[in-house]
Amino acid sequence: MTATDAPAHALPSNPLMEGLEAERRAPPCVLVVFGASGDLTSRKLMPALAELAMNRQLPSAFSVIGVARTEMSDDDFRDRMREAAPDTNPAWESLVAGFRYVAGDYGEPETFDRLEQVIDEVDQERGIGGNRVYYLATVPTVFAAVAAQLGDHGMAKATDDDAFVRIVIEKPFGHDLESALALDSALHQVFDEDQIYRIDHYLGKETVQNVLALRFANSIFEPTWNRRYIDSVQITVAESLGVGHRGGFYEQAGAMRDIVQNHVLQVLALTLMEPPASIDAQGIRDEKVKALRAVDVFTPEEVHTEVVRGQYADGWVEGEHVPAYRDEEDVAHDSTTETYLAMRLHVDNWRWAGVPIYIRTGKRLPKRVTEVAIVYQGVPHLPFKAADSRGLQPNALVLRIQPDEGISLRFGAKVPGQAFKVRSVAMDFSYGAAFLEEAPDAYERLLLDVMVGDPTLFIRTDEVEQAWRIVDPILTAWATDEAPLAFYPAGTWGPKEADQMIERDGRQWRTP
Amino acid sequence: MADAVAPLGEWEDVDASMSDVSEALHRLRGSDRTATRTSVVTLVAVTRTADELDRACATTETLGGRHPGRTIVILAQEDEKPGLEARVRLLEGSSDGARVWSEDVTLTVKGPAARHLDSLIEPLTLPDLPLAVWYVATCPTPDDALCATAEVVVVDSKELVDETGFADLVPVSHRRTLIDLTWVRLTPWRLLLAGLFDGRVYRPYVTQVDWAGVKGKPGVRDLLGGWLVSRLELRDVHLEDDRHASMRLVAGDGEFTVERREEERLVRASARIKGGPGHEEVLALPDMTLAWSLAEALSDLEGDHVYEEALEAAISFAR
Repeated sequence: MTATDAPAHALPSNPLMEGLEAERRAPPCVLVVFGASGDLTSRKLMPALAELAMNRQLPSAFSVIGVARTEMSDDDFRDRMREAAPDTNPAWESLVAGFRYVAGDYGEPETFDRLEQVIDEVDQERGIGGNRVYYLATVPTVFAAVAAQLGDHGMAKATDDDAFVRIVIEKPFGHDLESALALDSALHQVFDEDQIYRIDHYLGKETVQNVLALRFANSIFEPTWNRRYIDSVQITVAESLGVGHRGGFYEQAGAMRDIVQNHVLQVLALTLMEPPASIDAQGIRDEKVKALRAVDVFTPEEVHTEVVRGQYADGWVEGEHVPAYRDEEDVAHDSTTETYLAMRLHVDNWRWAGVPIYIRTGKRLPKRVTEVAIVYQGVPHLPFKAADSRGLQPNALVLRIQPDEGISLRFGAKVPGQAFKVRSVAMDFSYGAAFLEEAPDAYERLLLDVMVGDPTLFIRTDEVEQAWRIVDPILTAWATDEAPLAFYPAGTWGPKEADQMIERDGRQWRTP
Repeated sequence: MADAVAPLGEWEDVDASMSDVSEALHRLRGSDRTATRTSVVTLVAVTRTADELDRACATTETLGGRHPGRTIVILAQEDEKPGLEARVRLLEGSSDGARVWSEDVTLTVKGPAARHLDSLIEPLTLPDLPLAVWYVATCPTPDDALCATAEVVVVDSKELVDETGFADLVPVSHRRTLIDLTWVRLTPWRLLLAGLFDGRVYRPYVTQVDWAGVKGKPGVRDLLGGWLVSRLELRDVHLEDDRHASMRLVAGDGEFTVERREEERLVRASARIKGGPGHEEVLALPDMTLAWSLAEALSDLEGDHVYEEALEAAISFAR
């Protein structure tokens, strides 16, 4: 038998792989990186590929073809990639030696003519069998143009039933609902939805995936995971850093687009979703969409009462005096871009009706922390003297996503001594103190997922749409009227208006 | 695994009782408030010589970073005058500022008690967690009571030098989940060969293998040969003695090899189709330390029918 007369369909199973299924390894494929001379490629993608190569998770029938406007030779590109992941392991080195580069403009058909030719050469030489992954590590404005060119050149569909062609795009997926729909429409003209992998690297984090493990691998939490026992949910995504050199980008994005529309709503969906029938792409994503669809959309009036937007003034963070947002590089002196927001969401379904979901995120807060706190209702009757139970707070289950990933459970315990005093204690589980094993980097995990064809941790088109459905009315209200902007000193937990919002409900923000 | 391991507390006695050991464990835990417990397994290592004991202790010391729990290393000397020597340590492992704590018990069991290790171990096992028993250089006999209490039995067939070694393992694999550290160390090799058939160009060749050859030391070579015969339903495999393991499959006009060349600390895996495509992968030699293979072994405590079938096929080569 020769390679050419090998049967084209009904690929036989590989008996040698039996028992090794848990060892994840990419199939032969060409990874085409658009934006190959950019920051994302050298800072994230190449180190992740180098790590995968070192862990024997990439096949040798694999190559990277870089595409960018910058003129350079194959050798220059290889040198850059070696610099990006200066790893001496022979597996990485032997892969890099086969990398190729195509210089050209994304709008020019000639760029794609040359690309097609190089892909074919690599495929023939290594016997890759037509598998392609296109990674758009570019600015979002060229996503549609690249997709259209790939379509025009017949490069968007697999030439064989056993081969695959996938495209990966990075957030932001549009800047509002309308632009997100337009982007999806452009992509869908060329690619089917199951070919599109939308990356939010947050979902690649081990601890975000642990939310699923905690909820659905343990029977003790799920029975109480509803309005009957839970008083409220607080999601905090805090950063101590300011905008740094990203002022220009941040002026256009703000906290709502940069953090809430993607990271926060993804964490929210994982927290609120119903148990899926199976932990697979369809099971999880169907339930996430249902959860997001149940989130109440604000009227313009509700935006005033349910959302607080803020911006940091100068202040002190970690012992250092830091400037106000408006004094940061590339930021307008009268900017109204929000660096902080707090909001109270309502979810209209049987599980969560009446349970307020408090969300806050901001820059220049006292510390970097991401957590989901499930605050339980108090007991129906406290049989202790008031003076003996002053130190008792409601039970809380806190899922710490970063840093110091872990779980903390707050419960009441007797204070040692003659009196029957009770107080709250926190039982803390830290992943770092349980397992010293390092988890894979988010990009490493997600790149391998794309190549093996597992879209579970990627965002489906209807999730993007639902997220914008929640966020859009708020952005519209902020843009069309004089919505108040509250200021907070850098290094504090946000403006007093956010405290007042939650205090009106008789609750308080947690101190993470 | 932990980068560094340091004892937080230690107790030892050359004439101990098991209640002394339990009390010492309790006391050491209580003496250090930071020593909160996160455990996933109780591991017992059974040794017969001082050399094996040293090897087992060195191997298990860093295990807590990946599989926190309690480790009990036993030196069983049934021909000695009855007695029990014990050392109990609370270990702190650290890596990048993170810390884990694990308990480490070393027992030298002399006299008839060495034939009843189950009675010594049961009071020390952590509740509700699996008990894995590692026979460092032996294979448990059919009447081994400790083996009967274990959920998982770990052996290293490389250590079972005589040719009956494989045959003795089969009944164990029928009674208990059996993990062979030699098989664990072969995982990267198997994965490399299996991976050469990935993709539509190369996959059809995996069902067309005409000739298979394996080189290596006895044991390793036999297991790999058994694996190929059982998985590919081959009638025969060509076995040859060599210092390093290598495999070669010929399928029509395709040739698939995984080999380590002499004096090279690299593994080369290649697929070549005559007059067609081909590729070669060059990899650093996989980590083959005992500590690595034990840590890998404890990651998945389920049985492996692929191993059992390879083992049964390997017995015929070893005869």
